[in-house]
Amino acid sequence: MKEKQIPLKIVLGVLALIAFAPVWMVIAAAFSDEASISKQGFSFWPQEWSLAGLRYVIRFSDQLVQSYKVTILVTVCATGIALLLTSMLAYTLSRKDFRLRGAISVYLLITLIFSGGQLGSYLINTNVFNLRNSLLVLILPGSVGAMNCIIMRSFIQSNVPDALVESAKIDGASEYRVFFQVVLPLMLPVLGAIGFMVAVGHWNEWQTSLLYIDKRELTTLQLLLMRIENTLDYLSQLENPSAEEAALMQTMPTESGRMALLLCTLGPVLVIYPFFQKYFVKGLTMGAVK
Amino acid sequence: MKELIRNTAKNKALVVMALPAMVLLFMFSYMPMYALTVAFKNFNYMEGIMGSAWCGLNNFKFLISSKSLSWRLLRNTVGYYLLFTALGTVANVGLALLINECASRRYVKVAHTVMIMPTFISWIAVTFIVKAFLNTGNGLVNHLLEAAGLQKVNWYLSPKYWPVILSIITLWKGTGYGSIIYLSALAGMDAQVFEAADLDGATKLQKIRYITLPMLTNLISIKLLLSLGGIMTSNTGLFYRVTLNTGILYSTTQTIDAYIMNALTSGNSQFGMIAAATLFQSAVGAMMLLLVNFVVRKVSPENALF
Repeated sequence: MKEKQIPLKIVLGVLALIAFAPVWMVIAAAFSDEASISKQGFSFWPQEWSLAGLRYVIRFSDQLVQSYKVTILVTVCATGIALLLTSMLAYTLSRKDFRLRGAISVYLLITLIFSGGQLGSYLINTNVFNLRNSLLVLILPGSVGAMNCIIMRSFIQSNVPDALVESAKIDGASEYRVFFQVVLPLMLPVLGAIGFMVAVGHWNEWQTSLLYIDKRELTTLQLLLMRIENTLDYLSQLENPSAEEAALMQTMPTESGRMALLLCTLGPVLVIYPFFQKYFVKGLTMGAVK
Repeated sequence: MKELIRNTAKNKALVVMALPAMVLLFMFSYMPMYALTVAFKNFNYMEGIMGSAWCGLNNFKFLISSKSLSWRLLRNTVGYYLLFTALGTVANVGLALLINECASRRYVKVAHTVMIMPTFISWIAVTFIVKAFLNTGNGLVNHLLEAAGLQKVNWYLSPKYWPVILSIITLWKGTGYGSIIYLSALAGMDAQVFEAADLDGATKLQKIRYITLPMLTNLISIKLLLSLGGIMTSNTGLFYRVTLNTGILYSTTQTIDAYIMNALTSGNSQFGMIAAATLFQSAVGAMMLLLVNFVVRKVSPENALF
């Protein structure tokens, strides 16, 4: 039996290697000598290793640290708000004795079916709320997702017995206390699953920052990466750069510097996700069977 | 009615708990829906969404009259939806079957965890990586081609290769994660059926063909049906960012979402026309979702979205 599985193990191993190869290439490029990139191009095993890329990142650290701060602030606030508001809404929808729940469900479902799209949001955020260059635009829109709310509601319905809520109320606990001290602690698995996906979504978010943020001190990590790419593209197209542009070119990262920078933004998520795997695997199954 | 008011008054704490989420939904979901009325207006920034003058169906006429554009967007959006859905389903189910066959749980767990990783890499990072592979000067692929004695290819100037490139990226990024759902379905299968098949002398392939796949068809068809709600949507990160929004590649890469993102970032002020495209996209998506949900409700109520 065991012998027969060797080809299967090789196939799975090769697939895992293919999945990892591009990330390995980033690591290899981040630690390779700039001359070897320009000579042999990007590769999985550079001719010469070097820490120059890392040194560039350290030289660039002011902006990087600032972007890290903004991204962490946005991710933490947005995830916290999303979990709190969505779970409260889900709890009210799980209460069978709440007569308004049908109407609220419809109100929620409409947002799942129809959307104003990127343009609708853009017009409202700029023309009505004036959210340009405000971190709120990165935190508030989209924090209440209909699908997440449905998953949380089903989780409560199948994991928190009505009798538990009833008995807590008979013991004199207020609605708020029932939710925060009885129901919420029992929701930990679903909060972990959804919280992780929401957090990764915000860490990797780029469209909103691209559309609404142009202040240097509010630049998120993804926006920072985009800025560098766009500036490099712009500079590479110049035929006769002015003195100012030439100076700008001096500050631009080398290929290995860019890859080291990329590694710094990827790092946290790639280190953390295996620890959340059991949560989001459960979350996915919950979403499917509801 | 009286009963409803009495019930609401009794449960006012629940109303208070539901309210913050409902207010946010109103501000950031319902108001943007209303903003799409701009599709029927001559939008002017100073006059705002409400103040701008109505213009009937002019924006839609304009969109349809630029035939090559609207045909291209529609063809690419729907085409890639079909392509990615077909490829993705086969790959996800195939990987789940492979993983399920492997007896060594530890080995398979590590391999699968590695395969899930690309899902969590941002599209901006993917853009960097794809560029490192495909750059004309120092890209990995061109160096390999050269080493093999072949001609270098100007990937970012050759639209014909992009359906393949985008498919590879999509499979790389989504297959490990996409297989999870099928794996958990496989894990829930009754082991006795397989033991009975073993006794009857069924081979591994026969068991997959006659037991495992038929048991998965229900889940596969439900997932396919529900995905139809997204027939008009596409991943902006893939089609707008990874392609570097290159004009030469538009013929095989620009989808409705990529077009909208490009219009918004390039300072294009034809909001009416963009709103018309968005309204079309949203309306078709909504109709598909309602229809599909109706069908799923009939055949398998517990899987219906609502």
